[in-house]
Amino acid sequence: MIRPVRWAPGFALISALLLGGEPPASAPPGLVAPPFDDSALPEHADDVVDYTLRATLDPVTHMVHGEGTIVWRNTSLAPVRELWLHLYLNAFKNEQSTFLRERVGGRGSSPPEDWGWVDVRRLALRDPDGTATELWPVAELHRPGETDETDARVPLSRAVAPGESATLEVVFDDKLPAVVERTGYWGSFHMVGQWFPKIARLERDGRWAHFPFHHLSEFYADFGTYDVTIDVPEGFTIGATGPLVESRIENRRRVERHVQRDVHDFAWTAWDRFETLRDEIGGVRVAVLYPPGYGPVARRELAAVRFALPYYGARYGRYPYDVLTLVHPPEGAREAGGMEYPTLITSDGAWWDPPAVLTPEIVTIHELGHQWFYGMVATDELSWPLLDEGINQFAEIDAMAKWRGEGSAVDFAGLRASDAAVQAVGGNMAVHDEPVAQSASAFSNGSSYARLVYARTASVVETLARVYGDASVARALGAYARRNRFQHPEPERLLEAFRDAMGPRVASTLRTALFDKGWVDYAVDGVGTQEAQRLAGVFDRDGKREKVDPGASAEGGWDSFVLVRRRGTLSFPVDVELTFADGSTRREHWDGEGEWQRWAWHGASALRSAVVDPDDRVLVDMNLGNNVGAVSSAGRWAPRTFERATYWMQLALQAVSP
Amino acid sequence: MRARRHPWALAGLWGWQSALAVVVSWPAASFVASIYGTPPRRDGPLWDSGGHALLDFLWHGARGLAPIATTAEMALGICATVGLLPAAAAMVAIAYTKADRRPVGFVGSAGGAVRAMPSLLWLLLVVGLAQAATVVLGVLIAEGAQAWLHDGWGEQRADRVAAAIAVVFAIAASGVGVMHDLARAAVLCRRLTGWRALGLGARVFGRAPLPLWWSWAWRAVTSWIPVLAAAAVAARVGGRGGGPLILLAVLHQGVVLSRVALRTSWLAKALRSVHAVDPA
Repeated sequence: MIRPVRWAPGFALISALLLGGEPPASAPPGLVAPPFDDSALPEHADDVVDYTLRATLDPVTHMVHGEGTIVWRNTSLAPVRELWLHLYLNAFKNEQSTFLRERVGGRGSSPPEDWGWVDVRRLALRDPDGTATELWPVAELHRPGETDETDARVPLSRAVAPGESATLEVVFDDKLPAVVERTGYWGSFHMVGQWFPKIARLERDGRWAHFPFHHLSEFYADFGTYDVTIDVPEGFTIGATGPLVESRIENRRRVERHVQRDVHDFAWTAWDRFETLRDEIGGVRVAVLYPPGYGPVARRELAAVRFALPYYGARYGRYPYDVLTLVHPPEGAREAGGMEYPTLITSDGAWWDPPAVLTPEIVTIHELGHQWFYGMVATDELSWPLLDEGINQFAEIDAMAKWRGEGSAVDFAGLRASDAAVQAVGGNMAVHDEPVAQSASAFSNGSSYARLVYARTASVVETLARVYGDASVARALGAYARRNRFQHPEPERLLEAFRDAMGPRVASTLRTALFDKGWVDYAVDGVGTQEAQRLAGVFDRDGKREKVDPGASAEGGWDSFVLVRRRGTLSFPVDVELTFADGSTRREHWDGEGEWQRWAWHGASALRSAVVDPDDRVLVDMNLGNNVGAVSSAGRWAPRTFERATYWMQLALQAVSP
Repeated sequence: MRARRHPWALAGLWGWQSALAVVVSWPAASFVASIYGTPPRRDGPLWDSGGHALLDFLWHGARGLAPIATTAEMALGICATVGLLPAAAAMVAIAYTKADRRPVGFVGSAGGAVRAMPSLLWLLLVVGLAQAATVVLGVLIAEGAQAWLHDGWGEQRADRVAAAIAVVFAIAASGVGVMHDLARAAVLCRRLTGWRALGLGARVFGRAPLPLWWSWAWRAVTSWIPVLAAAAVAARVGGRGGGPLILLAVLHQGVVLSRVALRTSWLAKALRSVHAVDPA
């Protein structure tokens, strides 16, 4: 999920007039990952749970009636005597839900305008003799003393042995909420996510990874095959996870069957006003569903997919599915925008967004990245949000930079800010507050979550790319994504990939940054230069005693020094650029291991200034203002700022002048 | 009554705006220089493409920048009111000559402007309120129409209707502004009080509303073209100093001067229009 940026309309309109060149159509050559052998990638996930469901939408009451079967296999080493079902629509049932009680700010903070819930009507376990045992009457919807109804415990009538499968018959009714946090309705638009009773993931050791729907958390589940038949009024257009395998009209109803294996969730949308744009990109059938009037935005989103799908495929392993559906929700349903589901993503942006405002592109590329970091690398999004949102945020800024260059976030009136710079400063703002590597529910508020999980993780990885080379990080993340395709890795697997590709120092740096609130500030703490002088004192040379007074001039040249400090717990190798009075420059390299480094030398010219990290590689440097040191503080002057500030002020004054 | 025959009036207006702008930008530049003022690049990193140093500076320097922003707000407030004086002086300089047909000069212009200030301030208050009311009414009607049409017509059409309504009211507000300028011209040219000047301004505007509005509008629209061009150039200059920065500064001041010239040209047109009508 992305936290959408709302650009001021005025800003957007003005920038539309100012800027907006067409981006390149595809990745520049040489900027993709080093080649991996993708023939070794696993074709399929371990099929743990299969859902065969039929969903019938009543767009007037916003109810979805669902029924079908769930075949679940015990992949642990222990017999299972209970199941845990996630009923996440109940997060919007009342203000006693964990989701609505967690007042952490940000998206979905207000209660929905219309409540939503899921009522399980029937849950039964098929017995070997063909009969079925009703389970729902004994299910525990919430724990004693708790009020949240999103995490139900279902005692089984018999134990399911390791390796054994259990077949469940399920009937349920959803009341969709007014659109809130990724799901719900707005008028006749319906975004149907987290809509069915979903079995939590059982870890190998027999522990259920179950959790209520937390405000800042997303999801976690086993891979399987989803075979879902969706039944909506005839005039509605459907978008859903997986390819359409069957479609018919019966009794003035549109019935579509979508089947997708190797995924761990299923979402769908239905609206009677969708317009559709289609393309085929590298063998993947891409559909963009968008509201009337959003054609130009849909084309921009498709262009973003056209760039990013092959780019991500080269970098993190080929996209294994046949379809991708991109949904652009209507204006009133923007809460449904900026979300990822397997093979279905939702984007964001206004129909009038000018080309210089890159919201549609950024959101599309972000959500597409989740097909890898969430979809295929299916991490526990509650326990380790850095592994999906954080790594995916890096994937986003990397892709945006490769596609759009330095103006990848803002490109307005001569000011160009990159997505990476925005993330870097955002991450630095919160770095001392909390660690990045913690559960989503442990964050103090949405702001810290966004700044640390998204921004900090991305800027740390981007710093590694700038310092050690993009190809090294591409190797590390490429290997991580491929090794863990269709797996459920934890952070150690990420660190292991970086260790293998870039060495133990990088892995250690990454661990400190993510787990221990690691930070760094490079500073030029001293710069000096003086005419070379003879050493003073009394010296016995060649049998004679010679006295040299302090300040006695040497034969020529200058003695200079620079002192550079590294504050904080992270370390990166850096360059220091020295500028001399005669205009010459030279660079010193520091491995950054110690807490300070001093260079002293004798040269023909006086030192003027020193700059640490002149190429802006250490994106996480806490304070760039102390990266420059000059021998003399006289003559300080900021001509560019004075010139631009004066000009802008003149324009502002003209605007208000009578 | 041609603005181009009074270059010193234009220079005076430019000088007034520039002096006020420097008063605000100087402390901002000094603040920046205290951190990024040293060679070799001085504040170059702040203007480099990518914006990392600039964003970092805005974060660390937020507290220092707050009083500078307040100063800027004060300067804008001063310019919106006290700015009447140099604008009026420029109009006096354009409207009057001495008996020997020489320009009235600085003292004469300033004196005429000072004498007209009570009426000009009255007009500023009254017409300003009317203009604000027109804008607020337009926004309310546009938003109402957008909300009303949204479900039936769809978002894009409803937004377009709202935008069209907003444009109509913006044109109406600009028409009020044109009348305001004509009333100012009446104060300065015919030495009328505020109320009578407003009446004359309305009468002049009523005789040829479209030509007068267009005369104002083409200048207003044209004045943004050099701004856009300069923005494109600034993007290319980025954090470079030396020659490119000097060229950018020259270009920027050319932009400011051209806008002053276009504004003054319109005020001269307003003076001519009022002058051609019998105040009785």
